[in-house]
Amino acid sequence: MTASSRRFSLSRRRLLTAAASLGAGVIAAPYVARADEAVLNVTGWGGKWGEVMKAEIGPAFETEFKCKLKTDTALPFLPKLQASSRSAPVYDVLHTNSNEQWAAVEMGLVEPKVDPRLVPNIADVYPYAVSDKIVGVCIFTSAIGLGMRTDKGYGSITSWKDYWDAKFNGARGGYVIPANSLGQAFVMMCGTLFGKGQTDLDAAYAALEKLKPIKLVDFTGAMEKLILSGEAGIGILHDSGIYRYDGQNQPVDFVTPKEGVLSLEQVLSITPGSKAKELGNAYINYMLRPDVQKRLAETVWYSPANKQVKLDAKYDAKLLTTPEKVSKLIQVDWKWYNAQKDEIDSRVNRIFRA
Amino acid sequence: MPSPASPPPSQLTASIELATSTGLRRRAAHRGWGRRLYLAANIAVLVFLLAPIAIVIVFALNPTPFIQFPPVGLSLRWFEKFFASRDFMQALVFSLEVAAMTTLAATVLGASAALAIARGNLPGSRLIVATMLSPLMLPAILTGLALFQSYVLLDVGRPLWGLVAGHTLVTIPYVVRTTLAVLHNFDVRLEEAAQNLGASPTRTFFEVTLPLVKPGVLAGAIFAFIVSFDQFPVSLFLVAPGRETLPITLFNYLKFDLDGTIGAASIVSILLAFLVVIALDRTVGLRSYVKL
Repeated sequence: MTASSRRFSLSRRRLLTAAASLGAGVIAAPYVARADEAVLNVTGWGGKWGEVMKAEIGPAFETEFKCKLKTDTALPFLPKLQASSRSAPVYDVLHTNSNEQWAAVEMGLVEPKVDPRLVPNIADVYPYAVSDKIVGVCIFTSAIGLGMRTDKGYGSITSWKDYWDAKFNGARGGYVIPANSLGQAFVMMCGTLFGKGQTDLDAAYAALEKLKPIKLVDFTGAMEKLILSGEAGIGILHDSGIYRYDGQNQPVDFVTPKEGVLSLEQVLSITPGSKAKELGNAYINYMLRPDVQKRLAETVWYSPANKQVKLDAKYDAKLLTTPEKVSKLIQVDWKWYNAQKDEIDSRVNRIFRA
Repeated sequence: MPSPASPPPSQLTASIELATSTGLRRRAAHRGWGRRLYLAANIAVLVFLLAPIAIVIVFALNPTPFIQFPPVGLSLRWFEKFFASRDFMQALVFSLEVAAMTTLAATVLGASAALAIARGNLPGSRLIVATMLSPLMLPAILTGLALFQSYVLLDVGRPLWGLVAGHTLVTIPYVVRTTLAVLHNFDVRLEEAAQNLGASPTRTFFEVTLPLVKPGVLAGAIFAFIVSFDQFPVSLFLVAPGRETLPITLFNYLKFDLDGTIGAASIVSILLAFLVVIALDRTVGLRSYVKL
């Protein structure tokens, strides 16, 4: 055997060792390469929100804070957070609606509040954005009211109670309540309208019974289409679900009932075990900046939580941008609702089973 | 000699002929009804299977942003939107990549496992088969969640190989099952003959065994590709931010925008599945194995 052949002899053990090292190297390479780059893991929405976040707002944040922003838009967020380690959570900042934030805080998955000293823009938000009904901080809200067709001759609608009018029988759109936060908020609105308040479930159940016949959908997107197609003449919807068709000549409008509108909050909170809390707070502060708030508000028709934001006239006329308009918001006690959710789900399923 | 009461032979023959033809007519009528019922049942099954696809096609080709029947026109606007969307295109390409990797892994592992089970005289082979098929019995969403938790514990995040491993796990049973079905009728004497004629075990495998089990392996590979391409519950937990598969992207889109783009994407998925079958037919001659 020559010296050169000895040098290059390949035993099975060597081959396996080399293959294993190569495999480990391939797997570890991305992590080693990014070891020095700060990464912020957040959740976020798809649709128009996701588009503008991916194209403009996310990259601008990455440039300014010299980090990588990883946004998970694949639902469900809470089970993933639950399944991950508390000391190394899969997300640093959780962005969800308020009901899920309350579920998360009850499980200890997010911190109850955001420190205003670390997020200076909190000083400029409306009181509802940091009220006792909010976990973390609310960065935007939508108004939940009634979406309706304007071409069916239904006449003027001014109250939530008009939703029960017999003229809407068969043309009324609602939600599969266990699966939709607008539907859940509406349950509490029923208690307020016909009983002693949000927690009067007996009054709410009796009111829900009277809504039949009703067409039920899972998502707000489906409710929009139900109204756009004329299959429903009226439905529970957030204002952005109607305003987004502005300029498209659709015979639909959003009604703000005289009793007030329910609040559908976009909330950010920090996970206790996050290794990037400083960056997480910077992200929340960034999302509350007037320029970022204006860009997002005018893209998705969400009402900004920052009082300093000046929207263009078209948006300013419709969104909740003044203390007077904001005073119409009714915030929901999600902590209470989540505690009763199983019982409510079971009961409303029985009500709408037929 | 015929009895006086008996009819003459010609009359008897005529009676027999009449009875026979009546019987035949009755039987033919029965057969006719039976065939009609059989056809009706088949048509009903076909309608049941194809009606959802027909609705999706109507939705995708209708210009309105909602399902409307009868359709108000014919438009390709949702296809344009689908193909113009960077998110959808990235998701489509990523899904194809994942499905290709999954098919390769599931085919190699599943076919090897089936051969080992069928030929290896392994102790507890029935238990091994049951274990190999068990991913089909578990709800896929639990498989996804369990894998997600495992990756989190291993601190590897949500890597591409993790997603492919998850898809491979749920597609291996298809390859094992279809390969085992072919191996069940395999004549081992063919391999023995090859080896008696001097072929090495490797040559016997590639020139005798593999060509004979190819139909089962290919059928399993097709299943693996389609199941991986359409996989939703496992992907739900394993896709990484910014790298979503097409079913996940569609689900996220559906939450905010329920328009014809979903229908267009569904049609593209169906066409891709057809293309895979046609491509396999052209490259490896699927038709010679499977009666289509």
